[in-house]
Amino acid sequence: MGEHFVTPPNWQWYILAYFFCAGISGGSFVLGTMLRLFGDARDAAAARIAFLISFPVLLVCPILLTLDLGQPSRFWHMLVDVSGGGLVFKAWSPMSLGAWALLLFGIFSLVMFAASLYEGGVVRHRALQATASFVAATAGRIFLIVGAVFGLFVAAYTGVLLAVSNQPVWSDTWALGGLFLASGLSGAAACVLLASRSRRAAMTDRKLIEADRYFILLELALIILFLATLGGTLSKVLSGGWIILWVIVLLGTLVPLGLHWRPGLMRQAALLAPVLVLLGVLALRAVIIFSAQA
Amino acid sequence: MTNHWRDIKNTDLILINGANPAEAHPVGFQWFLKAKLDPARGPGSGGGAKIIHADPRFTRTSAMADMYVRIRPGTDVAYFGGLINYVLQNNLFHDEYVRNYTNASFLIKDGYGFTDGLFSGYDPKNRKYDVSTWAYQVDTAASAAYDAAHPPAGGAVTAIAKRDATLQDPRTVFQLMKQHYARYTPEMVSRITGIPQDQFLRVAGLVGQMGRPDKVMTIVYAVGLTQHTTGVQLIRSGALLQLLLGNMGRPGGGMNAERGHANIQGNTDHAISWEILPGYLKIPAPGQKTLADYVSQSASKKNDPRSWNFFGTNYRKFMVSLLKAWYGKAATASNEFAFDFIPKPAKNSSWMSIYDQALKGKMQGLFLNGMTATSIGPDSNRVMDALANLKWLVVMDPLPTTSSEFWRRPGADPKSIQTEVFMMPTTHWIEKDGSFVNSGRWSQWKDQVIPPQGNARHDHWILADLFGRVKALYTQQGGKFPDPIMALTMGYANPKQPTLDEIAQEVNGFDLKTGTRLASFALLKDDGTTSAGDWIYTGGYPASGNLMKRRLGVQDVKANDPTGMGFFPNWAWSWPLNRRVLYNRASADATGQPWDPSRPGIKWDAVQKKWVGDVPDYPPTMDPNSATSWLPFIMNGEGVGRLFSNGVNDGPFPEHYEPMESPVQNPLHAGQSTSPVAFLYTGGTGSHGAVTGTFGTADQYPYIATTYRLTEHEHYVTQHVPLLAGLQPKPFVEIPEELAAQKGIVSGDRVRVRSNRGKVEVLALVTKRLAPSTIDGKKVFTVGVPIHWGFVGVSAESDPSKGANWLANALTPFVGDANAFTPEFKAFLVNIEKM
Amino acid sequence: MAQTVGFLTDTTLCIGCKACEVACKEWNGLPNNPLDFKGSYDNTGQLDHANWRHVRFLETSTSNPDKPIAWSMMSDVCKHCANASCLEVCPTNAIVRTEFDTVFIQQDVCNGCRDCIAACPYGVIGFNQQSGTAQKCTFCYDRLQNNLMPACATACPTQSIKFGDLATMRQAAAERVQTLQSQGVSQAQVYGDTEYGGLHAMFILTDKPEAYGLPSQASAVLPGRNNIPGYLTAAVTAVLAGLAGLIAFRRRGEQPAAATPPPAATTGGR
Ligand SMILES: Nc1nc2c(c(=O)[nH]1)N[C@H]1C(S)=C(S)[C@@H](COP(=O)(O)OP(=O)(O)OC[C@H]3O[C@@H](n4cnc5c(=O)[nH]c(N)nc54)[C@H](O)[C@@H]3O)O[C@H]1N2
Ligand SMILES: Nc1nc2c(c(=O)[nH]1)N[C@H]1C(S)=C(S)[C@@H](COP(=O)(O)OP(=O)(O)OC[C@H]3O[C@@H](n4cnc5c(=O)[nH]c(N)nc54)[C@H](O)[C@@H]3O)O[C@H]1N2
Ligand code: SF4
Ligand code: SF4
Ligand code: SF4
Ligand code: SF4
Ligand code: SF4
Ligand SMILES: [Mo]
Repeated sequence: MGEHFVTPPNWQWYILAYFFCAGISGGSFVLGTMLRLFGDARDAAAARIAFLISFPVLLVCPILLTLDLGQPSRFWHMLVDVSGGGLVFKAWSPMSLGAWALLLFGIFSLVMFAASLYEGGVVRHRALQATASFVAATAGRIFLIVGAVFGLFVAAYTGVLLAVSNQPVWSDTWALGGLFLASGLSGAAACVLLASRSRRAAMTDRKLIEADRYFILLELALIILFLATLGGTLSKVLSGGWIILWVIVLLGTLVPLGLHWRPGLMRQAALLAPVLVLLGVLALRAVIIFSAQA
Repeated sequence: MTNHWRDIKNTDLILINGANPAEAHPVGFQWFLKAKLDPARGPGSGGGAKIIHADPRFTRTSAMADMYVRIRPGTDVAYFGGLINYVLQNNLFHDEYVRNYTNASFLIKDGYGFTDGLFSGYDPKNRKYDVSTWAYQVDTAASAAYDAAHPPAGGAVTAIAKRDATLQDPRTVFQLMKQHYARYTPEMVSRITGIPQDQFLRVAGLVGQMGRPDKVMTIVYAVGLTQHTTGVQLIRSGALLQLLLGNMGRPGGGMNAERGHANIQGNTDHAISWEILPGYLKIPAPGQKTLADYVSQSASKKNDPRSWNFFGTNYRKFMVSLLKAWYGKAATASNEFAFDFIPKPAKNSSWMSIYDQALKGKMQGLFLNGMTATSIGPDSNRVMDALANLKWLVVMDPLPTTSSEFWRRPGADPKSIQTEVFMMPTTHWIEKDGSFVNSGRWSQWKDQVIPPQGNARHDHWILADLFGRVKALYTQQGGKFPDPIMALTMGYANPKQPTLDEIAQEVNGFDLKTGTRLASFALLKDDGTTSAGDWIYTGGYPASGNLMKRRLGVQDVKANDPTGMGFFPNWAWSWPLNRRVLYNRASADATGQPWDPSRPGIKWDAVQKKWVGDVPDYPPTMDPNSATSWLPFIMNGEGVGRLFSNGVNDGPFPEHYEPMESPVQNPLHAGQSTSPVAFLYTGGTGSHGAVTGTFGTADQYPYIATTYRLTEHEHYVTQHVPLLAGLQPKPFVEIPEELAAQKGIVSGDRVRVRSNRGKVEVLALVTKRLAPSTIDGKKVFTVGVPIHWGFVGVSAESDPSKGANWLANALTPFVGDANAFTPEFKAFLVNIEKM
Repeated sequence: MAQTVGFLTDTTLCIGCKACEVACKEWNGLPNNPLDFKGSYDNTGQLDHANWRHVRFLETSTSNPDKPIAWSMMSDVCKHCANASCLEVCPTNAIVRTEFDTVFIQQDVCNGCRDCIAACPYGVIGFNQQSGTAQKCTFCYDRLQNNLMPACATACPTQSIKFGDLATMRQAAAERVQTLQSQGVSQAQVYGDTEYGGLHAMFILTDKPEAYGLPSQASAVLPGRNNIPGYLTAAVTAVLAGLAGLIAFRRRGEQPAAATPPPAATTGGR
């Protein structure tokens, strides 16, 4: 690829915030699903927390996206083709796909949110009871899996969206989708850990920490892949002030990794690790979004 | 232009000197590119015409040229001189043409000479030449014999010149010319112009091929040549080269001035400048008591029995017809057709002298009509002080100008300026119909585009109304010599509101007996039975109607351009007599056959017994092979082109003189470095006294400056056009990279440029398009100053400085050409500093 | 179906007069540029929402003593790509292909997401803060619909901008390059014959495309190219993450057997 002669789309803070939320929301749902499917009764609480996180965070996404539009009142043009008629759906346009994915994922996320509210005993209402028992059934498992796939997509596609352009950095690599997914999952794990700290489910915590460890390793591998694929535009992401963000990214990955291997330390630093992870998740997206447009 | 825009496509080689057509004439420039793109054109084997651009700056024109020649401002006399010398030394001139179509064989008086930079007859006290020695040896016997045979018509004098057809006599123009130019060796050219010898010889190599009959070259110039103290000689130099190469009168050839405003050609034809009357008739001079005196002293003498001397012979008819147009019935044979009504200026009354007089307190008021004196310069501060020295100033303009606002310009104290300024809103030309005459002499009638805006009135209505009121005052109060005012004809349907159509008819002229409009100036008479407001336009609006409105053009090229030479005879109307190429008789040989059959101008058709092609510059049915046929150049006294001429004040041959402000002494004759006859104004008082005191020297002002235009602006008026201001928003000076590096200046810095007269404070544009030259062994930098900004318009309004010190002409010297008095805008000295 | 139109912009005939820029602004009522000096003859700077033609000035030194500077001017414009990156990504179908085979942004549909700006490989599209939409050259859609030449081509004094039937333009381009090469301009080349399935605004260049701010043949690629690899990596990551979950959350030795979540009654009870 080498040289680019483009204008940046000027995607700034709204988009950064959106990418972060999409990662957390999608990641949490996937996490919750895995806890439910692979884990045991003791993990149920953590699973509930994951779903309780996913939906509210997801709700923020369309708001951020709409605020970023030049014509917010036309956000619905993403779904309805006002000139050609019918719906707009462009499988090869991640933004079009993403719009639909957000909508549909919203349904899954909402249902699991409701069910979790009921199961957690926060709210007890006929309607909720019904949903709860539905998701408890076999159909529920399939429902969960499908939802998780959407979750994975929502967490990942933002990376592909950047790549499907002609901007420097973004379009020079194919690693962004995976990278955002991995960091999204690790971010989600961090959120659940933070939220479940009170509940003292030591075993689940250990499981989450272990999972996060793998996610971080995955993320580090993909960061290396990302940088490796940049070629000519590598300097753009590594130059000047951006280094500071990269330092935060490293702190958000290596430090937790180190702590994770020392459960002893981990107990003291129960707060530190997940916070660092979340900062890392944010910094990673920031450096990729901003440096390319600089 | 001797030729016209479209004709440039017919050429093999284009020399551009002192012009930047890609930027100043972008539409006309398409024809340069057409020539370049045409594989049938070009020197040697063809493959497209070549463009050689000689300019101190590498411009958007240079970018399109095949060869860019960096020349020092004001030195083209040496450049052309070198080429002339090369052509003469190597016998590359068009021999047959030079012998028969120029005055090369004429013998010059023995008194004529040139030593130490001065021609014979110089009077240092008055800085003038007595030109009596710059004359032909007259064969008095032959002259008398001729007069006996043909009684002299209309007061024109016969003075048959002696000739030597072999060109060997040392007193022939040819030998004198060879001797004069022998000094312009490639080495000398390089010392003066800064053009490397090897590059100059590459240019000469190409130009040298253009003397072949099957090749033709055009020279294109504009104010980069005229705006020098040697302006006229710069242009003559090119003309001499073209005569030697036999390129005058030929399609694809000629000496072509790209004119200025869309109608500046029309302005000149109608006597915008003080020393002429309409149609280039001379302004009467003091001492010319009778019409006969005037004609005999103004009309060219007949120097050869076969010279028609058309202008000279008919001078009286043209003058009388003009007087009839102006004074009608009051112009009678008994009062010499009111010849006395015409003023006889005693001394230089050129543009600059107006302000010189004002500074001397000799002027009460001034009308500025469509002209922004303050911006135009030269030496704007001097001009503004002159305006402040008036009782009243009337600015007739559609828009505010630096002249209408000078009294409240940034830094000025309105209370201290007593001049009463009247702003008269006129219509802009887009709010008028009327004619535009382009550089190619095409008079093209245009429609009114929009109706007059606001209170705007047409200029001619304002002037007509004003005249009516002045006349009324004379009727009431009388006054000294009221006759010229009382007698002036205003024969329009509404004398207060003449239409341009009526004026166009008046210009064309009438047969006063029948009242019909004339079809040709050949019909004009000196007995008072015809009128013509401008004889060269007679025929443009004949009885059949306004030919300037014709529009038969490219919609059907075959039908509308039958010869394929681009004449388009039914597109508008071209003076004289719809002729598209002047002197076109010279495009054919003695027998009337074109020098280059593939590019005919006119051709003698022996069968039809008439000339075919362009409108011939010759009697349409005169057989060139008859022993009594006229010589080719029918207008002048010689009947041939002038290589030697006494029609100019500063030398019969062009000579290189340094600009008034120059970094070097003249390498040819340091003793006479600058023009000995350039007019030096004596000015008023204080800082605006004698101009000689305002010239700077190279030790204080080491850099040459030249001023010029940019595509994006039209002088000062486009300061009112936001979209154009957007393209070139702020004033700047262009500085060569090397000089900028020395001064630590980078593009965008604010810089101050000073001359000995004033300063500009603008932004820097550092460029490699300007570079130093080696002049007489000395490294010299040139900086460029675009002219377009001032304290009026959107750029000034948008700037904190409000346009203070934005006038390029604050820098320029108040001195001009010895003949045309055109200011030396193009070469002066400055210093430059970072602010 | 109306004719397929095209531009051929010939840098060897461009004199940098900017008549095209002004004509475009006049016809399309585009806002003026700020009155700031940019330090060169180019005070327009770039193509954007307010500049749909932009004349680039490219200045380089040469070793030719008779032409020490190569100063080439190029009137840049939307390329109206046959395979248009902008049109590919636009999520609202605001960007459409017209009956003249040009690429047009419907201002009443665009919602200002700016994905097209990210996509255009030529940096053509600009975002208009006032309208909140993306804007670029319309190929004078309104003029074409009324059988008028585009304003820029009409104004060009040197026919550096040629307008006409696309096929004719392609042929003219080929011929022009031949002539130039026969006159010794070895670098003369057409840009836009093959890029993006053939551009509807082609250029005659005398140097490599990069010198004019145009991506080379090799790097003229569509955004869509990154879809498959992008999603694939994501999928692989997803699978690995799944495995990670499987390992991390696997049931450890202790009770209870099944992880069936306890019925609501047993858990939530007081
Ligand atoms: N865009 C635009 N076009 C215009 C005008 C305008 O204001 N703007 N004005 C119109 C008018 S009124 C006129 S008179 C014409 C003038 O048209 P031009 O004469 O072409 O315009 P200039 O830029 O004044 O000068 C032309 C060139 O002469 C060069 N030059 C200066 N001194 C010398 C010299 O001694 N020798 C040589 N060989 N070159 C020299 C300058 O560097 C400059 O590039 O343009 C007309 N056209
Ligand atoms: N240093 C330097 N100075 C120069 C030159 C240079 O090269 N260098 N060039 C010189 C040359 S060649 C020229 S021609 C002058 C140009 O100097 P000007 O002719 O003064 O420049 P313009 O801006 O064209 O001014 C024309 C004025 O006429 C007005 N106008 C337009 N149409 C009409 C009309 O129909 N009626 C009336 N009454 N007004 C009208 C416009 O509003 C404008 O104010 O500058 C000269 N000064
Ligand atoms: S502005 Fe008018 S006169 Fe000047 S180049 Fe353009 S068309 Fe010719
Ligand atoms: S150049 Fe850019 S804006 Fe124009 S069609 Fe191609 S991709 Fe779209
Ligand atoms: S900004 Fe408008 S035109 Fe561009 S992609 Fe978004 S909706 Fe389509
Ligand atoms: S085609 Fe029309 S819109 Fe496009 S650049 Fe030319 S003038 Fe502007
Ligand atoms: S109008 Fe033509 S010549 Fe002038 S800048 Fe535009 S493309 Fe070049
Ligand atoms: Mo002029």
